[in-house]
Amino acid sequence: MMKFLMMMIFMIPLCFMKNMFWMVQMMLMLMMFMFMNLGVKLNLFCNLSYMMSCDIMSYGLILLSIWISILMIMASENLYKMDYYVNFFLFNVIFLLIMLYLTFSTLNMFMFYLFFEGSLIPTLLLIIGWGYQPERIQAGMYLLFYTLFVSLPLLIGIFYMNNEMNCMIIYFLKFFNLNNYLLYISMILAFLVKMPMYFVHLWLPKAHVEAPVSGSMILAGIMLKLGGYGLLRLMIFLQEINMKLNYIWIVISLVGGFYISLKCFCQIDIKSLIAYSSVAHMSIVISGIMIMNYWGFIGSYILMIGHGLCSSGMFCLANISYERLHSRSLYINKGMMNFMPSMSLWWFLLMSSNMAAPPSLNLMGEISLINSLMSWSWISMLMLMLISFFSAGYSLYLYSFIQHGNYYSGIYSYYTGVSREYLMLMLHWLPLNILVLKIDYSMIWF
Amino acid sequence: MYNLFNSNKIFFFILFFSTLISISSNSWFGCWIGLEINLLSFIPLISNSNNLFSTEASLKYFLTQSIASLNFLFTILIKLTLMKNFEMNNFLTIMMNSSMLMKMGSVPFHFWFPNIIEGLSWLNSFILMTWQKITPLILMSYCMNNYFINIIIILNIIIGAIGGLNQTSLRKLMAFSSINNLGWMIMSISISETLWIFYFSMYSFMISILCFFFYILNMYFINQLFINNMNFLVKINILINFLSLGGLPPFIGFFPKWIIINFLINNNMYLMTFIFVMMSLIMLFFYIRISYSAIMFNYMKNKWFKIYIKNKYFLFINFFSFFSITGMILSTLFFY
Repeated sequence: MMKFLMMMIFMIPLCFMKNMFWMVQMMLMLMMFMFMNLGVKLNLFCNLSYMMSCDIMSYGLILLSIWISILMIMASENLYKMDYYVNFFLFNVIFLLIMLYLTFSTLNMFMFYLFFEGSLIPTLLLIIGWGYQPERIQAGMYLLFYTLFVSLPLLIGIFYMNNEMNCMIIYFLKFFNLNNYLLYISMILAFLVKMPMYFVHLWLPKAHVEAPVSGSMILAGIMLKLGGYGLLRLMIFLQEINMKLNYIWIVISLVGGFYISLKCFCQIDIKSLIAYSSVAHMSIVISGIMIMNYWGFIGSYILMIGHGLCSSGMFCLANISYERLHSRSLYINKGMMNFMPSMSLWWFLLMSSNMAAPPSLNLMGEISLINSLMSWSWISMLMLMLISFFSAGYSLYLYSFIQHGNYYSGIYSYYTGVSREYLMLMLHWLPLNILVLKIDYSMIWF
Repeated sequence: MYNLFNSNKIFFFILFFSTLISISSNSWFGCWIGLEINLLSFIPLISNSNNLFSTEASLKYFLTQSIASLNFLFTILIKLTLMKNFEMNNFLTIMMNSSMLMKMGSVPFHFWFPNIIEGLSWLNSFILMTWQKITPLILMSYCMNNYFINIIIILNIIIGAIGGLNQTSLRKLMAFSSINNLGWMIMSISISETLWIFYFSMYSFMISILCFFFYILNMYFINQLFINNMNFLVKINILINFLSLGGLPPFIGFFPKWIIINFLINNNMYLMTFIFVMMSLIMLFFYIRISYSAIMFNYMKNKWFKIYIKNKYFLFINFFSFFSITGMILSTLFFY
């Protein structure tokens, strides 16, 4: 594990060299390749070194974060062309990747918190630094303070835990059972805001709307999964109190997911629609984790990976339109099939993955989650049905609104997709739909 | 910094040694003498006959400090006449602690602090915010009235955070930030002295970078940060140091807070920790408000207003900021 950390640290000087933009990406791809061959096949912690290790759960999420970082660099070619603080951008991406890598691979609860918070700063810099409108300040503040307001109690909770059981090793959490309401709230809420759950999701659409494409990709791709990862890890020692209180979050998430799906139909901003759709997906993930059964855990894990790839790809698509039309409004981005017929295929593929069409990881995840929720209570069937239906609905709505119909007559000039963009979308879509062939790795990690 | 190179520099040494006198003295009277020398050596440092504000500040400083030392003297004389050795009562400790609180500008007696710091140069503000707090804190730790002090700590934390919210003057902001940090410091010194030394040295380190920054950039108000065209690296360094001071994780400023929160939880002070942590959130808010211009790479600038700042001390700043970023990692080298 240490070697990957060292590799990333020594990539930092590379970021500050001239014309090394693609080199950094290539090095990241090399690292991705090496990491893929790590061969974590056990459901226990493998590759222990220096307080770091990974089991299947962290392995998949680390892979996802390296992958998304590669695609982030690929998607922000514009920064490179314009030379808009590109070196610092690369540094930011690498720093964020280091933080995420450490978050997912650390064994210590406190270190987990430390890097969990540490990944917030580069994200904030991405949003406020490379965003477009002046409102990005507000969005950044929302992001920062929503997250910090609940994660500082998490810090207190972690120290309390340390005080109670004299250990902060994640693996040993399973030997403890702390039955304490305040601890429960402080532990859970930080991750629920990060996910985000329905009532505390307000920072997410704001941040997405203001963020540059790379910021959106990492936010939707990884930052939301940090919350899910934390919940998956921490559920274990709160079992008794989970039984009493978890239904609250399940209910809020299920009903909220339905509301948010309806809200998606009211959006006119592509990015904000995608952001709301990820809130809706995350609501199923939350309820799956909170159910605390096997199907729920694997389902939420698979859906997190799938959604990370899928929503990141959709943000790429939104940015591809934005770079050409300089607008994200649905009323301007319409009839795109006339201009970019091949891109239309990618819109379709990613949208269909988003609505959980067959070969995708999202389908796998949703099936497992439906299994788990149904085993808890058949009443949840109603909300699940509505969420599933409307998630297909808004994906289709977005697709058909953008692709079909007359194009906006005020368009002055346009250019078609370049091969970098097709490759980027391919690299989003392919793992999303091919991983399902070897899904047993994701399903036996527990 | 100009103070360093004129005849005033002798007073730096007196200031320095007076603190050592009072913290190493073994009688209360010696402590008092150290405090008085300290006061009388700081006055020439802040008063500058060309600047009306600093003269006013030095007068105010003299008045408040002499009232505080008067109280202190009164307390120790009463203790001398009424009490046996090694005996203190509640009244005397509260009296003692209050005079010390007044000395360092802690909360119920903090009103002079932002006022005076407004008339000081950045170097003097730095001394006022760090070095001048050593003596009162150490003296206070000799006989603390815990109930009293706990209330004071909470007040410090809250008022430091709320007071800084609406300020536009950087020095006042720093003053309120120092009031907030004073709460942390009093807390840490009531836990253990080594913990305090750790917190204090970290805080002084961060404050020194910021004061030095603002000194060489000649900044006194928030809007100046937007007017001047700063180098990109300088901006990033300002941002990093403010985030560090606010106690965000990857930077060094989180380190002392982490240690103190850990100790507080070990002592079962949950509510106190919660207040500490939530107020540090408010602190973070106005630190980030200062660094808006740094965190946004581009913003609306007046084309006709071009002040380019030459940075002579560029390497120096980068060196210190390097510690701010990597301090958490480097600290393992220092402490273990």
